[in-house]
Amino acid sequence: MIGKEFIGRESESVVLKIKFEEVRRFAEAIGIPFDGEVPATYVGTLLQANIPGFELTNPGIIHGEQKITYHRPLSVGDSITYKRCIKDVYERTSKLGKMIFVVLVTSGYDLAGGELVFSSSSTIITPVKGDVNEERV
Amino acid sequence: MKSVCNYQVSDRLPIREWVPSHVQIRQYAEVSGDFNPIHLNDNYARQVGLGGVIAHGMLTMAQMAALLTEWIGNEGRISKLDVRFEQVVSPGDKITFSGSIRARSEKIIVCDIGACNDKGDKVLVGLAHIIQK
Repeated sequence: MIGKEFIGRESESVVLKIKFEEVRRFAEAIGIPFDGEVPATYVGTLLQANIPGFELTNPGIIHGEQKITYHRPLSVGDSITYKRCIKDVYERTSKLGKMIFVVLVTSGYDLAGGELVFSSSSTIITPVKGDVNEERV
Repeated sequence: MKSVCNYQVSDRLPIREWVPSHVQIRQYAEVSGDFNPIHLNDNYARQVGLGGVIAHGMLTMAQMAALLTEWIGNEGRISKLDVRFEQVVSPGDKITFSGSIRARSEKIIVCDIGACNDKGDKVLVGLAHIIQK
């Protein structure tokens, strides 16, 4: 079960080049014309940075909130380094019973200059009764 | 078409309609790498109480962003997009995205944004910041 002790755990940094073909395929999947710009939610696909010991695969998991902030535009051809971090873990009781809220933050930095390009925060909600590493049904 | 710089507080943005399909959800799983079976396997999704597969929240959010980028055109860009997912979205649901201007300065436009399904339930609510060029 995930608890407060996970707060602060982070992944290794992953280096990534924003590739034309991958962004084009993303635009096609969401159904928008591709004009060379990187869609705002593209950074939500940066899931390769694994946080050691942390995996959320249990049934009943909900994506509650998503917040994306760009400190500068992200463009095709940019090289970035990104990492993911568990920012917060807390419990709340909702109409579905006791739930655990996990706030995961992905931060992307310019590979050359090191400045923050974007940050993306996901709030994932999971029932307390489901074990985090439980096998899928 | 009215230019973005002419929009004033409380003005409504153009709406966007979207009906997700099983095919699009699968396509999104492939490009995003999110293969959670609640998006792909009807039996699994039913077993966990969802009544069938649901769209990725990020796919719905992408449609919200698409409304904004289409509206902005080349007059600016999204600098902030914060949303809360209120209800699940299933294939075949008719989703209407909308928005209005909450505040604006010379450079930044703050928009209230949201989406409803055809039953009138809110599926997404949030806030966006647009930086004008």
